[in-house]
Amino acid sequence: MAERYLEELNKIRDAVKQDLLGGRIDLLLGWEKGHYWWQSRPLFATGEEDLEKLAWDSFCAVNLSRYLLDELRDYQKIGVLVKGCDSRAFNRLLQDNMVARERVVLYGLPCPGMLDYELLVAAAGSELEGIAEQNGKVVLKTASGEKTIERDQLLLYKCRDCLHPDPVVYDQLLLAPRGEKEAPERFKSVTELEEMPPDERYAYWEKELSRCLRCYACRQACPYCSCRECFVEQEQPRWQGRAYQASENFLFHLVRAYHGAGRCIDCGECQRACPVAIPLQELNRKLIKDINELYGQFEAGLNTELEPPLLTYKPDDPAAFSEK
Amino acid sequence: MVKKMLTADKLPALWSHLAGQGKLFLPVREGPTVLFKEWSEGFEVALDAPTSAVSPKDLFFPREETYMRYRCSGQAMELSAGEELESAIAFGVHPCDLKAIEMLDRVYLNQEPVDELYRERRAKTTVVALACIAPDPFCFCGDFGIDPVSAPGADLMASFDPRSGNLMLESQTPKGEDFLKGAASLLAEANGQSFELAAVKTADFGLDLEGFSESLKDRFEDPAWDKLYKSCLGCGVCTYVCPTCYCFDVEDYGHEMAGERFRCWDSCMYGHFTQMAGGHNPRPGRKERVRQRFLHKLQYYPETYGEIACVGCGRCLRSCPVNLDIVQAIKALGGEKDV
Repeated sequence: MAERYLEELNKIRDAVKQDLLGGRIDLLLGWEKGHYWWQSRPLFATGEEDLEKLAWDSFCAVNLSRYLLDELRDYQKIGVLVKGCDSRAFNRLLQDNMVARERVVLYGLPCPGMLDYELLVAAAGSELEGIAEQNGKVVLKTASGEKTIERDQLLLYKCRDCLHPDPVVYDQLLLAPRGEKEAPERFKSVTELEEMPPDERYAYWEKELSRCLRCYACRQACPYCSCRECFVEQEQPRWQGRAYQASENFLFHLVRAYHGAGRCIDCGECQRACPVAIPLQELNRKLIKDINELYGQFEAGLNTELEPPLLTYKPDDPAAFSEK
Repeated sequence: MVKKMLTADKLPALWSHLAGQGKLFLPVREGPTVLFKEWSEGFEVALDAPTSAVSPKDLFFPREETYMRYRCSGQAMELSAGEELESAIAFGVHPCDLKAIEMLDRVYLNQEPVDELYRERRAKTTVVALACIAPDPFCFCGDFGIDPVSAPGADLMASFDPRSGNLMLESQTPKGEDFLKGAASLLAEANGQSFELAAVKTADFGLDLEGFSESLKDRFEDPAWDKLYKSCLGCGVCTYVCPTCYCFDVEDYGHEMAGERFRCWDSCMYGHFTQMAGGHNPRPGRKERVRQRFLHKLQYYPETYGEIACVGCGRCLRSCPVNLDIVQAIKALGGEKDV
């Protein structure tokens, strides 16, 4: 796998270098390594020297599409490396009229799914020094020897139930497609929550949301949260109080989730960004599941020609709410 | 200085004993995270964990704190103080986090005006520091001269032996001695012994902080800021998990008949932090906010109080969704050893 990544990285670098130096793009949004081998962080490349830092491995989880919101103010033409979810995030922004398609060059990277460092550490059992990857397996190198584990068991939560590893929109597909995936357990947690008695379910969310710091990392990492001014910050009227009360935490998370109903692409960046491990993806998935059941299967970010179900009206829409 | 030992089987009894003395706060596991919480039966106490996800600064500087309440009936208005503070025990504060609390002391306690709420919480809380046994790869307290296994400012120093589950407790102040006296029936003599714990190894990011703060004086307009801030998402994770961030906002909550005035944490990473009436914002974007946060830690605080406002707890390295942390900042600004 490491070799495959190296080969792929060279391909990616060659393609973007040509475009960056040739003037097709002014900025490339990619990844570079952080302090450690398990960290890949955003790279803003404007020249050849920056491209030397370019990274592509099992830790490129950060969705780069969102940076377009700001960078398109400074740069005329921007190239972005997009995995499957990142490309759907781009479609989200496009459909929300937040980006101009003609000013962005999308380099598609079919994605193997990103690894979760915490899971690697837990699986290693002792001090983890590094990993190697081959044939769908991860070799954990520890102080006390090597351990081989199925790659699928070490994926980030957001990647476990991915349906579309391949970018759904791109100008150039740089790597070999990986094909659609099945995710039979995608709504398992949601179903479990639905089956709880209401009081128990309320207690569950009260506990989970009690950890919320209201740092708004979930919102800032989210491709559907692209409002210039969030309701949270509005002063007149003041919707969101600053107090750290359960009611304020509920207000924030529920309003945010409803705002994403039919728009959430289920990329899971919210949950990955949360510093206190609130299972935010389940809130979004509940709405995705409801919409699927009420209005038929719909996947946000797949096709910009299709209006999200809650943004359209059809005379034969089910009226499940009023029927009860 | 009195040293006592508590055997593993007595730990639950110690927690219920302490909880009977006042509010007991300690690090507990909640799902995949470790957080300081008020103890209650059934909690999984995490004495063997790295630093908690959020710093324990909120035991002294809570996320939200009521100044006063008001209630009106007819023409009369009744004012009352916020909550009555009970005595508390902060158990299991890591040396880095205690050092950070001492940094907050300088701001809220050791200069005029003294922050009365902070003073009261400090006075009423017994701090039991806990020697670090499992730093994670982000811990770099060594760069700030902090010894991960000692905390001279604490009332007691505790060390936990993960193999036996036993706890060693050593008082460092009269408050600490009272603590040991109160729990005497649970404690055994230490007989001069100490646990033989493995040496604690913290991360070495190759930082060179000698003269670093002074070097920042003329670098407000440095081009390094133009690159550094780019990846910032503009959330407030770093400020809220940070043990040395201490900004708050004052708000009113309620209506004309009843309500309260409270303060709550605020973050310089938010736009509204510097938003002025009339619409002007002196820190209009992420660049200005990122610069403010790092310069506050690295230049402004040291100018006023003599040392960098970072204790190497590693929380910003662990929590930032895009890995834009204080080590990135120090390196981008030249605080790196020559290789």
